[in-house]
Amino acid sequence: MLPHDDERLEVANTIRQLIASEENLTPVQARSFVRCLQNSWNVPMIKWGEDESFGQLNDARRLIHAAEIYRQLEGYSSPNALLCYRRAGELLEWLMRAKDQISTIAPIALFAAGAYQLGGLPAMASSLLVQAEVRESGAQLYSSFLKADFDGVIKNVAMFWSENQELTNYSQGKRLLDNENDDNISWYFTVELVRSLGLIADSLRHGDDQRLEKALDKLYALDKLAVRVFSDDVSLLITLLCNVAIEYNESSIYKPIKQITQSSERHQKRLFTFARRQFKRRRGILWSSQRQGLNRLLNSSSFALCTPTGSGKTLVATFAIIKELLLKDEVVPAPLGLYLVPSRALATEVEDKLTNEFGKDLVITGLYGGTDWGITDYWLAADQPTVLIATVEKADALMRFLCPFLVARLRLLILDEAHLVVPEDNENSRRSFADHTNRSIKLEAFVSRLLMLSPSISRIALTAVAGGASLPVAKWTEGRQDAEAIGTNYRSTRQLVGKLEVSTDSSGRMLLELMNGQPLYVRGRNEPVYIPLRLPRMPNLPATMRNSIYRFTELSVLWTALHLVGEKRRILISIAQEPEQTMGWYKDAFELNGWENINFKPPKDEVLLAKYIETLEACKDYCGINSYEYFLLKRGIASNHGQMPQRLRRLMINLIDLRICPITVATATLTEGVNLPFDIIFLTSLTRRSYDFSINKQIITPLSVSEFNNLAGRAGRPGTTNGMEGMTLIAVPQKPSTTAPAQIPNQVKQIVNLNRVYDTLINNLQNPKMVREETNSPLALLLDTIAKLVEKLYGKTSGEFLEWLDTIAPDEISQEAGTGMSSPEARLADCIDELDGILISALEEIRQVESRDLRGSEIEAFLAKLWKKTFSSVASIQEIWLEKAFIRRGRAAIEVVYPDADERRRLYQYGFPPYLGRRFEQVVPRIRKVIENASNYGTMSENERIVVFDSLGDIISNDRGFGFRAPRTVTDQILLKNWKNVLSWWMNVENVKGPEPQELRAWQRFVVDNFEFRLGITIGAVVAYSWSSGSSAPLQIPSLNLWREITGLPWFGFWVRELLRWGTLEPFVAFALSQGLSHTRSEALELRSEYETWLKNLYGGLDAESFINPQLFLEWRRSRPKRDSSRVDNISVKAKLTGTNGRRVRYNVIPIEVENTIQWIDASGYELARSQAQIDMMGTSDVPSDYVLQVKNGKATVRKYIVY
Amino acid sequence: MHTCPPPIEELSKWLREYPSTKGNYGHLLLEQRCDCKQELLDELRQYFESAHLDAREYFHAVIGIDLHPDVDDDANHALYPKCLPESARRGLFGEVMAGLITESYTFVGQHKWLVPVFLFRYHADAEKYLFDLARNEKRTRAVFGRLGSDFIGISLGRDGSVVRFIAGEAKWRSNLKDSVIEELLLGKWTTKGEKRVRLGGIWHNLNTDTQIPHGVRQLQRLLQECDPNGYSAAILSMDKALLLRDPVPIPRTDLVLIVGNVDSKREKGLPFITWENAPNEYVAGNDLQVVEVFLSEGERLIDSIYDNLWTEGDNNASA
Repeated sequence: MLPHDDERLEVANTIRQLIASEENLTPVQARSFVRCLQNSWNVPMIKWGEDESFGQLNDARRLIHAAEIYRQLEGYSSPNALLCYRRAGELLEWLMRAKDQISTIAPIALFAAGAYQLGGLPAMASSLLVQAEVRESGAQLYSSFLKADFDGVIKNVAMFWSENQELTNYSQGKRLLDNENDDNISWYFTVELVRSLGLIADSLRHGDDQRLEKALDKLYALDKLAVRVFSDDVSLLITLLCNVAIEYNESSIYKPIKQITQSSERHQKRLFTFARRQFKRRRGILWSSQRQGLNRLLNSSSFALCTPTGSGKTLVATFAIIKELLLKDEVVPAPLGLYLVPSRALATEVEDKLTNEFGKDLVITGLYGGTDWGITDYWLAADQPTVLIATVEKADALMRFLCPFLVARLRLLILDEAHLVVPEDNENSRRSFADHTNRSIKLEAFVSRLLMLSPSISRIALTAVAGGASLPVAKWTEGRQDAEAIGTNYRSTRQLVGKLEVSTDSSGRMLLELMNGQPLYVRGRNEPVYIPLRLPRMPNLPATMRNSIYRFTELSVLWTALHLVGEKRRILISIAQEPEQTMGWYKDAFELNGWENINFKPPKDEVLLAKYIETLEACKDYCGINSYEYFLLKRGIASNHGQMPQRLRRLMINLIDLRICPITVATATLTEGVNLPFDIIFLTSLTRRSYDFSINKQIITPLSVSEFNNLAGRAGRPGTTNGMEGMTLIAVPQKPSTTAPAQIPNQVKQIVNLNRVYDTLINNLQNPKMVREETNSPLALLLDTIAKLVEKLYGKTSGEFLEWLDTIAPDEISQEAGTGMSSPEARLADCIDELDGILISALEEIRQVESRDLRGSEIEAFLAKLWKKTFSSVASIQEIWLEKAFIRRGRAAIEVVYPDADERRRLYQYGFPPYLGRRFEQVVPRIRKVIENASNYGTMSENERIVVFDSLGDIISNDRGFGFRAPRTVTDQILLKNWKNVLSWWMNVENVKGPEPQELRAWQRFVVDNFEFRLGITIGAVVAYSWSSGSSAPLQIPSLNLWREITGLPWFGFWVRELLRWGTLEPFVAFALSQGLSHTRSEALELRSEYETWLKNLYGGLDAESFINPQLFLEWRRSRPKRDSSRVDNISVKAKLTGTNGRRVRYNVIPIEVENTIQWIDASGYELARSQAQIDMMGTSDVPSDYVLQVKNGKATVRKYIVY
Repeated sequence: MHTCPPPIEELSKWLREYPSTKGNYGHLLLEQRCDCKQELLDELRQYFESAHLDAREYFHAVIGIDLHPDVDDDANHALYPKCLPESARRGLFGEVMAGLITESYTFVGQHKWLVPVFLFRYHADAEKYLFDLARNEKRTRAVFGRLGSDFIGISLGRDGSVVRFIAGEAKWRSNLKDSVIEELLLGKWTTKGEKRVRLGGIWHNLNTDTQIPHGVRQLQRLLQECDPNGYSAAILSMDKALLLRDPVPIPRTDLVLIVGNVDSKREKGLPFITWENAPNEYVAGNDLQVVEVFLSEGERLIDSIYDNLWTEGDNNASA
């Protein structure tokens, strides 16, 4: 501590508080931000003077200075320094984006990027520089460096050395200062700076610490020299580059890799390739949130990571997989990791990412098949470490099928979006227990059971929601009361939340209210920040359209979106519900005068065009040529909702991801955890309506704060969007759109209401108490629901309640138990059944693993332990009765209600709650019989085949417990009545009339709920049970060879769920689609003839089973000619050493073409060797290559490695 | 740090003084009265070594790090400032002279001036090279901001805080005459549209400079590196000056130093710049000190100083 340090801090604090407050902007800062937004949006800018620009530049300099004081006095990672750098970055960014003249006075884009990097906002630095117009070679080099684009840095320095050949000669380079040219020092300095930056970039991307250290020393020395001999601005730039380089060194992905692979050279080599690839993708420099997570991962095996969306959590999960699986690839049995995700879409994304990275080292499977294991599930028998990516439902089904097998291999559990274990405490949640559709309790039950069976596995919980849920999630994950979540507030991009005001008499304007969760508040004023939109006005709508204020609002949003997208912007229109209505409105609007000139041009790029056409074809196949989806897609509008067939959803997501469609209209299911590139999200409603038939009342549920935050977090993802900020705007009408006097008062009321809902949301977003939602827990909520119903129905509480739990069976409560009825008694019975399902599953699993039944007090001890593993036990205020009720009911379920161990085993395997399972069991033989009888399915006609499905449907269609169900609306009830028609349409039976466009989604929902899910589940349960009862050993690994023998079923049994999933009667079609061999069902059907010819040529006359034998499908597939995928890789060329004695043996080199030779230079710019030019040795800009010069026995060769 | 005291006695033997002060304008003409004696040269060499010591040290640190992959041990090549081309040496000479004169003579306001470290920011091409990555003389780019003052010194209060800055321009010209001086003061002629106008010039630079001289941030950083304890109060006062929106103002003295050869026939005691009153072109409003140093064989002096720097080893300067 030096004299005056305290006072220096005080000075820094003064300026920080004045101009770098996290909570608000000064008036001039707010104006500067608005001005930059206005320029980005091409709308006229506010009045602004040159002195204001200078003021902002000076403030930025002040803040950088203050940050340096903080770093000196409070340490390198001083939070105050971060704040100062961030605000400095912002001030400079806003000037830059306003195209301020001041950019000719100082290199503000580079200063801004440097400040953002040091402020811990690397994604902001990178996005900013993508937008900056950097023309000069030097500025381009620094820009690449400040973007952490090290391949770009190498490209820049290679160009420099190519233009300055003489400097690549070691001795000539050394003589630079002997040159009598004027100002040789500046030139020498420049050359040495290029050498340092090149070497730093190259050493970073290859993890070469030794040379990195030297290059950093050099840069540090250059910085010290620059401060002495150059102007203030040059010196500041060099200082920023130097500090950023030091930061890069600290944040390199090689650091944790070196730490975890200390003892294994083999793994280190493998993971260096991984790290190098990360650098290629510009992910090699870890974000602060990732560093925190990785530090924790390296030191402990279980923890919860709670950081905002887009902070790079997936990388932490990837490292967990490396640590627990990849590094243990010699362990027997091969370790297994389970990656639980909330949606199938997210499963796909995670699978793609992991396969890309570790597809060769690990088995990575997303378990998409309709069956609980499918033809591609070779992981079962693989001796490689395996990652299973699954939703909790899928994982649960797998567990019932393969429990001992899974438990023997399981080493790691990753829980993505772990906060979803917290249920909302509302009537819907309570009802969903009785319906057995509550996902929170499924997650809690599954994970708790798993932790009982495998208490020592590593557990990583990832969650985006800070506040309430993070602490109990951390306790649950770590299994310790004193656990705490690792959390940062790191946000990779700026998030703006506000309103899109729509009106009949203007083209609307944006009102921006929140920036990064804080009010975009202008200190000293209360003026809101408006951005008027200067778009063409929407043509007047016909009365039928404008008479609904909601319809007017939705069309205004579409109109705005269509005119805002331009070349680059990507917009999501997020709708709360009934997407078919919105899509229908859109279609009608497009047919109006004034809308006809809005054109969409399909992509020119061949690959992108092919993707677009493939999606169009799939859309035509599954939705029909008259569907809204197809109509909109033709106009460049992608759509997505939860009921859309999976294949089409995947294709649509792909279109959005590749930025092919500028606009997407979707429900919230699209964005559940999936990263998609949107610049703007428009919301058209903040509430969802539903109808409660039990009370004959419409229920309006507002969007929860966490749901809104999750959605808003998807706007402006780093690296995927063009803007610096993601905007989430809620469309709110300002005036009645109707001109009919009688309608006006009603619309006024509606508008007032919409504004009120909007204001409430904005208030809640700002109110930390509301953000920290109460931590509910599913099991506690279920027990509470049961207790409340018991009290209401029977007046029993406390002791009496527990006694009641000791003996009661669901059918004693209500004869309607397990039939999906909604009377309080039926609901109570079904809630009890839900609880029994959890308890029996846990006890059955421990029986399977320990191969014996627990008895008496053992059960209690087990249940007490299980309770301790539940989320409820850590999240709820510890009410003793909860645990007591849990344990006593567990014992009662085993000893009183379901005393027969064999029955419990069967019920467990069916996967239904036990009472429902009992009812289901009665139809099992009938289902099995239908499947058994379909042994000639392979040669059946279409009509015969649909009859088989009809008979399966007949068995369950009238049961509302495990069978078909539909909402009680008139349309849905008609569908339920005519389910066979829907089934025929879905299974693609010829000449069956499908739905009208407006009915499509209802039909799709019926298909998903009843055919894919309910019928699929019942058939899956029968098939799984057939396997288990036929298999002699509990660890029997499922295989296609044994499948028919063990289950005693024909191949139809294997295919039936796949057929329901793909909507086809033909197994080959399901196979071809699942393997990506065809794009549409009709295309797959055409391919079938190829298979049949192959089959006949090879095997001659065959029985019906052979036509649908999955083993033969696979054999056929293997026999097909493979596409030539040989890569131009690992090419080598002889070289002559020209600038090295070769003593290091191995040198990373960069090629420079000089006439007919390739000059191989070190990243520091010195020529090391030369060789004859060879065409395939040079890299291309889109596929960067690494080159290694190797000197062995006096011979030198250069080998090329393509970095994929 | 620059610690060598100025050779005041030898200077007074060598240069004849014509000092004057009126209000906040000071003028000092220094005329060479005799040939440079060895004693003077020795003392000047020591002073110049001290002035260059800091830059030399860091320059050598840069040169010393060899990035060639085969080089392990870094060789230290003692080059600076000898490696500099002639024109650069002349520029440096002017800057060191500014320090030397400031520390040796009494200026307007009678402040005690201190030059703790010399900044040598004469590398006008640096930005061009750094941003273009090319040594293309034809290409021109707008230099970002201002290069800053040629020279900067401070005056410390009793508590060690900076109470006044002195900053300004220090120019060497081999042949001082009216036209040369005019160009220095008023800027070079250039055409703007159809008009001939003057561009830049010392008066323009001073008139448009900031109250806190450019380069204070750099000077402060050097003080922190070299003697953070000894200069802690000065460092704090510079923080205040640079950071606070409305700091207690630290007044500034502007310095104009022109050094060069004059015609031997030129009348003695006759300066180029008016000494009675501050020149009309100067409107910055600070204290202004003009120094004119007339030499007879300046180049020889410069060469004999620079050729002999560190000829006696690296410890000269601190002696």
